Amino acid sequence: MIRRLIVSVPILALVSFLLFAALRVLPIDVAAMSLPPTATLVEVEAKRHDLGLDRPIPAQFLIWLDGVRHGAFGQSVAMRRDAGSLLAQGLPTTIELALCAMAVATMLGLGGGLLLFAVRGTWLEGLGDLISTLLMSVPDFMWALLLLLVFGVLVPVLPFVGRLDPGLVRPGGTGFLLLDAMLAGRMDVLWSALRHMALPALALGMGFAPPIARVLRSSLLDVYHDDYMRQARLRGLGETRLLLRHALPNAVLPTLALMGVQFGFLFGGTLLVEVIYGYPGIGNLMVDAVRNADLPVIQAVGMSYCAVVIGISLATDALHHLLDPRGRP
Amino acid sequence: MRWARSGRVIIGGLLLLVVLICAIAAPWLAPHDPNEQDLLSILLPPAWMSGGEATFPLGTDSLGRCALSRLLFGARTALMVAICAAAGAGAIGFALAHVAGYLGGRADWLIGRAIEVWMSFPPVVLSLILMVGLGTGTDKVILAIVLVDWTRFCRVLRAEVRTVSRKDYVSAARLIGASHWQVLTGEVMPATLPLVITLVSLEMGIAVVVEAILSFVGLGVGANQPAWGQMIADARQNVAAAPIGLLLPMAAIFLCVAGFNVLGDGLRRSLDVRQTELRGA
Repeated sequence: MIRRLIVSVPILALVSFLLFAALRVLPIDVAAMSLPPTATLVEVEAKRHDLGLDRPIPAQFLIWLDGVRHGAFGQSVAMRRDAGSLLAQGLPTTIELALCAMAVATMLGLGGGLLLFAVRGTWLEGLGDLISTLLMSVPDFMWALLLLLVFGVLVPVLPFVGRLDPGLVRPGGTGFLLLDAMLAGRMDVLWSALRHMALPALALGMGFAPPIARVLRSSLLDVYHDDYMRQARLRGLGETRLLLRHALPNAVLPTLALMGVQFGFLFGGTLLVEVIYGYPGIGNLMVDAVRNADLPVIQAVGMSYCAVVIGISLATDALHHLLDPRGRP
Repeated sequence: MRWARSGRVIIGGLLLLVVLICAIAAPWLAPHDPNEQDLLSILLPPAWMSGGEATFPLGTDSLGRCALSRLLFGARTALMVAICAAAGAGAIGFALAHVAGYLGGRADWLIGRAIEVWMSFPPVVLSLILMVGLGTGTDKVILAIVLVDWTRFCRVLRAEVRTVSRKDYVSAARLIGASHWQVLTGEVMPATLPLVITLVSLEMGIAVVVEAILSFVGLGVGANQPAWGQMIADARQNVAAAPIGLLLPMAAIFLCVAGFNVLGDGLRRSLDVRQTELRGA
């Protein structure tokens, strides 16, 4: 486990260098873009020198890395602010959304998996199979559009733009809106934030629940073939107790391994869902930066996506390690 | 030909056949040029609803372009990207997986680390970054998907190749004097082929979605090429006035992706010998 943690540092460093180098070799001149169109060639050259763009790429990377240490990710070309401060604003929003979506996906996935398992061997099994295959064909961004259409437009019960009702002022603090609202005791803000989060979180949850459900079902089927389950049944334990106390804890392990990968994808999926719902996280930041070819922001946001994905994979590994006694020394 | 009798393969194949026919016959089936604007009749509902016009069977978008024509031509874009991207990503992943899984050692280590670095990017984010460098266009979208998704093949296939390579019959082939190349092509590849076919089918579905995503954010195929993602982006702006405009391209994407997934699922079940043995079929 510690080894995994140590390995993840060079991976992150390598990823950030590759990203840095790839963005530097693009034919996009950050210096020219940050000056007014009337600037002379001499001025552009001076700016290039200021930004260190005339140095070799590894040297530029070290300068950038040194800046990151102090929280400076480079000046955004389009927004004239440091990419780090834009990140500090957007990242908590996206992480909050992703965490809620993961909770939704876990509940739907576990519930769906138990349901699929419960109908095994009946005529409903084929139907469940078909439905889960069809649900797997609906990607998260389609869920986002579909839910927006149904609950935002046709039966307008939930808001579908932004993060808060207009007129509400968000309390300061950690940047995690739900947490800040609770800390400040602002129930109106909390309620509004939850209502705004409902559709995006549900869309992401629906997108990632079906594979979880299917893996849980098949690992439950595997576990039920094990000898210890027959033993437990011979001891006269009830079916519910068998399932919840004996089968589920073991069946959850392979599901957990899948969830690590799935949650990495889910975090990437927030990008589109944020764009669809106008949710002010790093997804919208990224898309705007890509449209404006705003390289410092692309670099910072791209890096933070990687860092979170690596973090999620580490966290699920750790959880797996905690739950699975076989891996312990 | 057991696979030809599988219900899933037939259903998936039929769905895809419909999309394929639409794509090939788009110039003859479409009532209008997909980019022809009729600014006097924007956001029309389908012909059977009140306010609809018979000349626009499925209505129009915010620039008065015929929704049916754009759907049909969008199928061309989607299938083109799906086939080329899946073939490209499959070829790279297939080659690297066989090198890594069969040779093992340093090659395996290197390819394994490359996959790890790749997979630490969410696919959507990586393809967006690639589109910054590549620019827009169908060929660029295909290239971006190939560069992002080869890992999906490589990761799964590498393990499969490793398992197959350690089988006795592979060692036996080496013992009777077959070269590495002969063993790879004659013994290992036939065993991994069913998995490859399944993965290609699933990847085509993924490529359709990625193309739609990139076109939705305006970084996909060029502005003049009709694509389902662009239709969604346009309809998202006018969702309150014309909700049906959003449903049409979504339904098209769903049918296409479901076709690839059901087909892939069916192929996996019927081509994988171990699975059929387990199920006793």
